Amino acid sequence: MNLAVVYVTVGTTKFDALTTIMVSDTVLEVLKKRQCQKLVLQQGNSLPVELARIQEIEKKYGIKLEQYSFRPNLSDIREADLIIGHAGAGTCLDILENGKAGLIVVNDELMDNHQMELAQQLADEQYLYYCRVNQVPSKLSSLDFNALKPYERGTENMRKFVSSLAELMC
Amino acid sequence: MDAAGPTYVVLGSGGHTAEMCRINEALRLANHNDGAFAQVRYIVAQSDTTSQSQMCKVVPSAQDRDFIRVPRSREVGQSWLSSIFTTLWALLWSFWLVWRDRPQLLLCNGPGTCVPYCYVAFLLRLLGRLPATTKIVFVESYCRVKTLSLSGRLLLPLADMFVVQWPALATRYEHKKNLRYFGRLL
Repeated sequence: MNLAVVYVTVGTTKFDALTTIMVSDTVLEVLKKRQCQKLVLQQGNSLPVELARIQEIEKKYGIKLEQYSFRPNLSDIREADLIIGHAGAGTCLDILENGKAGLIVVNDELMDNHQMELAQQLADEQYLYYCRVNQVPSKLSSLDFNALKPYERGTENMRKFVSSLAELMC
Repeated sequence: MDAAGPTYVVLGSGGHTAEMCRINEALRLANHNDGAFAQVRYIVAQSDTTSQSQMCKVVPSAQDRDFIRVPRSREVGQSWLSSIFTTLWALLWSFWLVWRDRPQLLLCNGPGTCVPYCYVAFLLRLLGRLPATTKIVFVESYCRVKTLSLSGRLLLPLADMFVVQWPALATRYEHKKNLRYFGRLL
């Protein structure tokens, strides 16, 4: 699978380890091999990439880097072939409900345990992939994003809950 | 018997509100407009600037007057000493509102804001101010896979229906009579 457009999102967190590794030569090399042309970086409260580095990346790898802190990101999500994000529930759902390939990267510095649990569970069910920061380069080069399963929404379960709520209120 | 009381939907913030919006959308689509969910009041923290508009998007019939603004027990970063007073103040508010409106259903999914409402409802039902048919329903968040949230742990003993969304939690608490598992709701 070609990764023409890769979208990296950290939500409202500060996740310098991820934003830094995404613009490292190792990762860019891998992305170039997988036909990446555009890298969109929503860096939230993390450090922005320097302008000189952005120009260098475009020249050296032919990858156009776009970065911003916050903006409505539905079009970024839709445009992406791959979404790389932190383990927030919102990010996981954005990936799944838009039928995107996703790689969740755990922020070791946060240790927000229950969010890791969610990413792990979704990875166990093969809806997305999940790794640590230092694994990002190897995962990006080896993972088969076509092998991920499409996510079915819990609409039927919700319907059951609603009717059982109605029963409770009788 | 008096006219049935309203449904209290206690809104948290961020992801909690997003999940509660889905639930309310489902309730609306299921057309339970005549019964228990006819009259809904949304409890929102005063400092919460986004939950109301999020809810109005999925429930267009919701009016301004359906949203009750309440003080929050504790703001992020607030000192512990002043938290004691603001928590007491929030508790008084919840007591007054539940006493006044006599809700027939409390529907919540965390975080903390909903806890005092449920405890007050439980107490007032015990004392006969609320009818015995008043129900407390807690839906644990989609992101709790293996462990309950703090609100969940506080409300598990008194909720009439306690919903979890993942198999690990369903197995862990299967001995609880009020626990229900329908699979993930999202």
